[in-house]
Amino acid sequence: MRFSRVLAGVATVSAAALAFAGCSPAADESKTITVVYQKTDGFVALDELFQKVKPEFEAANPGITVELEPIVADEGDYATKLALMQQSAETAPDVFYEDTFRVRSDVDAGYLLNLDEYLAEWEDWEQFNDGAKEAGRADDGSVYAVPLGTDTRGIWYSKSVLEAAGVPLPWEPKSWEEILETARAVKAASPDKVAFNVYSGKPAGEGSVMQGFGMLMYGTDDTLYDAEDQKWVTGSQGFVDSLAFIETLYGEGLAPAPDVALDGSMWQKLFGEWFPGGQIAGTIEGSWSPSFWKQDGSYEWPEYVDDIGVAAFPTQNGQGDGAVSLSGGWTLAVGAQSQNPDASFDFLAMALDRENALEYNIANSQIAVRADVAEDPAYLEANPFIGFFTDLVSVTHFRPATADYPQISAEIQAATEAVMTGQMSPEEAAAAYDDAVIGIVGDENVTQ
Amino acid sequence: MTGQPAAPARPRPLSMAAPRRAVAALASNVVLLVIGACFLVPLAWLILASIDTAPSQQTRVPTDFTLEHYAAVLTPERTLLPLWNSTLLSAGSAIVTVIVAVLAAYPISRYNSRFNTPYLSAILFGTCLPITAIMVPVYSLFVRLGMLDNLAAVTFFLAATSLPMAIWMTKNFMDSVPVSLEEAAWVDGASAMRALRLIVLPLMRPGLAVVFIFVFIQAWGNFFVPFILLLSPSKQPASVSVFSFFGQYGTVAYGELAAYSLIYSLPVVVLYVIVSKGIGGSFAMQGAIKG
Amino acid sequence: MVASTSALRDGAVRPSREDPNSRVGRSSRASIARFLPVVPSILLLALFMAGPVIWSITISFTNTALTGREAKDPSWVGFENYTRLLQDPGFPISVWLTVVFVIASAVIGQNALGLAIALLLGRVTRATRAIVTTIVVGAWVLPEIVAAFAAYAYFADDGTLNQLLAGIGIDGANWLYEFPMLAVILANIWRGTAFSMMVYEAALNDVPPEITEAAVIDGAGGLKRLVWVTIPMIRGSIATNLMLITLQTLAVFTLIWVMTKGGPGISSTTLPILAYQEAFKFQEIGYGSAIAVVMILIGAVFSVLYLRTIRPGRDA
Repeated sequence: MRFSRVLAGVATVSAAALAFAGCSPAADESKTITVVYQKTDGFVALDELFQKVKPEFEAANPGITVELEPIVADEGDYATKLALMQQSAETAPDVFYEDTFRVRSDVDAGYLLNLDEYLAEWEDWEQFNDGAKEAGRADDGSVYAVPLGTDTRGIWYSKSVLEAAGVPLPWEPKSWEEILETARAVKAASPDKVAFNVYSGKPAGEGSVMQGFGMLMYGTDDTLYDAEDQKWVTGSQGFVDSLAFIETLYGEGLAPAPDVALDGSMWQKLFGEWFPGGQIAGTIEGSWSPSFWKQDGSYEWPEYVDDIGVAAFPTQNGQGDGAVSLSGGWTLAVGAQSQNPDASFDFLAMALDRENALEYNIANSQIAVRADVAEDPAYLEANPFIGFFTDLVSVTHFRPATADYPQISAEIQAATEAVMTGQMSPEEAAAAYDDAVIGIVGDENVTQ
Repeated sequence: MTGQPAAPARPRPLSMAAPRRAVAALASNVVLLVIGACFLVPLAWLILASIDTAPSQQTRVPTDFTLEHYAAVLTPERTLLPLWNSTLLSAGSAIVTVIVAVLAAYPISRYNSRFNTPYLSAILFGTCLPITAIMVPVYSLFVRLGMLDNLAAVTFFLAATSLPMAIWMTKNFMDSVPVSLEEAAWVDGASAMRALRLIVLPLMRPGLAVVFIFVFIQAWGNFFVPFILLLSPSKQPASVSVFSFFGQYGTVAYGELAAYSLIYSLPVVVLYVIVSKGIGGSFAMQGAIKG
Repeated sequence: MVASTSALRDGAVRPSREDPNSRVGRSSRASIARFLPVVPSILLLALFMAGPVIWSITISFTNTALTGREAKDPSWVGFENYTRLLQDPGFPISVWLTVVFVIASAVIGQNALGLAIALLLGRVTRATRAIVTTIVVGAWVLPEIVAAFAAYAYFADDGTLNQLLAGIGIDGANWLYEFPMLAVILANIWRGTAFSMMVYEAALNDVPPEITEAAVIDGAGGLKRLVWVTIPMIRGSIATNLMLITLQTLAVFTLIWVMTKGGPGISSTTLPILAYQEAFKFQEIGYGSAIAVVMILIGAVFSVLYLRTIRPGRDA
């Protein structure tokens, strides 16, 4: 039958293709180190850093080739692909860009190399501040990742809007109550403006924790996670109080209307329209904010230098340090399965030396974690607020980055959404959160 | 606008009263144009944002026009190479799929067998498979077979993912080709494959065109599969490069995204026009045979 | 797929009967050889689909994850993922929303609109035909992420739709917040109708003109002709089309994700959104696979329904 010939043709083509596939170069020449990181049009700083370090490193280490493998994707997809690559020894990268909040769970998964020995011999390590050292530490007490930089969060406010409402400047609220008082004054003076924004709800994602609920929660007497016992805290008054603050803010119309706030792109309006247009008095936002307003930023607004003021976010009643901040940020780490761990660490160290860290921190609007960079004039001149936000490092907290954190964060987001829309009272939402947390981590990992 | 070929020249019944027919034709035209307008409006954002000097997610008529977004994205590494990779992947998988689907559909359409039902049911299960959900095993498979970062292997994988639908569609189109035509060929001593090639395939060209376009577009728009299975940036297709317009902290380069999207969509629209011209060509033949 | 290969092995071919599916009279020399052309499809599907699917089903009984301790040592958890899914209060809502989404946007929306456009295309001028098909197909060929952005920009509170409504004095709703399901359903109709249109265009070309002519001569009106002549003629295409668009719509993810992120609350969280959140955002592959298996089952239910109700006695 003639179709057998057709069939044979198809079979040959398939076989050839698969055979060809089989011959593809498996990148395991022993003296190559692969570097995997995220790159997008809006985020080229790291790519530029590695492009610069690669020839320097290859010149200093003859015989070693650095292979750069940027992944073009958003953060979620980047994490997925990185985790898949890490799962197979054949594809696990030697050096990679890793979010601080994934460090612990990825250490549990066995993806990261213990860096203690290398750090002990690295003289630059003492330049890193304590928070940065903690960010790369896992439950076993060892350090597995070195931060590139960090970010801090505080209050950004519009001087002109507050002045119009008769609020004396500089505005330095000392408690949650003072924030509400000021917000009410703004609301009374101009009812159609947003008085104070605290990110809430699921569409804002991690922002609802980092630039929202978390800033409140860490300013109470309670905590989310008991780091010593490694247990999640349920039934705390601080949790209810934090939700109650959000309820008040949204319930009284001081925050953006819930349907506006529940659009994941609200922050773009906030930077692009509300602040430049004088339609908002204040918000919690991150240290990177000027990167949007500066020259060539997404929402260029040169006047921000004069119109914007900043303040530390207060603790609930001014207790403790009186101020609170949350930090995230990204690190570089070495793969546990690396064939060339020594060379990989050397590459990491070179990429994070003083000169490179300085350039990267400025280019990517990062808060420096190296003391020598933090006091460098070039760094401090990058924008008028960078010094202020660098100082917040002293009061900042890192997320409880356990493997369960992403799910628990989603439950926190759901709780804030339930409260801001009035679907649940703070107590109900807190109780629902408690149930969800027990469901995620189990009874044995929860404490009262 | 692109030139859609002539509507099939079908003899129209002459029994109706001419004025009524004119009114009906006018109404049909109006209704269709209204539907077309409804389909066009959501595209307005793409077009307007791509020429706006200060684009945002909001649709508006730009105050200042510019072509700089097009200039910015039309570089070899940002657009041309990814488009070429997309073309290889999509055309490759569409060709493989159509050939394999025709081969598979022919016996199932023509012969009755106990094999048909379980085969078609199994394929049906494949059709509703959320590919995203099986990507973890697929990645492991590719690692084990050493096929990671291989365009040919990814092409075959994409072909496999669209195969279930393609076989269903092809079988259906094949069912509508009257078997009597082949019987005549068999009498003349032609083999089954010869009859398939010379008689059945020409008659189902419109159907094959739909299958081809369908597979091509699925592959063209597929982000997750090439993203996961290809490692080298130089092999990534255009669907993956779209994500370069989404920056850190959620920033989006709207103008470039819109310009890029339009450029990215253009080849598929052109393909559709070419293929539908091919369909038009076959109508005449079909009419000849049927007449 | 295992079933199908064993069926191939017996190679038993039913002798032809007066059944519309048995078109060929050479059954006496029936042999496995006739089915050899099916082999490449089986090879491709077995390697790239059946393998990973079986793997996925296996994974759904474990606590496999992409990160954390379970990534290193996944363990067998039996039906735990399934019981957890059934106990999740969001799950029944998610199933319901998925069914609503599929029926409203695919079975009713895309299917009916696609057929209507295909029927109208046969009686309009060449220019109208060119314009309309290009626009409708244009929405379909857009990459999903781009289509999703366009749909978002259209339905957003300050989007195109509300600007148009404001132009005629109507204060539009915040569609994505107040009517998220309506918005994503309309968006999916917009994006997907071209496929049905093309299938029906091709199918209608196979309807011999003399049959419709005969009906016209018998005095059948337009609607009657459609219901009694045209639709029965393209019944097979309708069934296939319904099945394909149903199964495709069942898996729609990006469109909904970009437009509403499954919200507000969980009011547009269909199963693919749920599966994505579990499998990738939370990196719990085991649980995510369990949701995928449930999606396959729901797809199977739809498919069997179509096969039984629309084509009784054939392939079902």
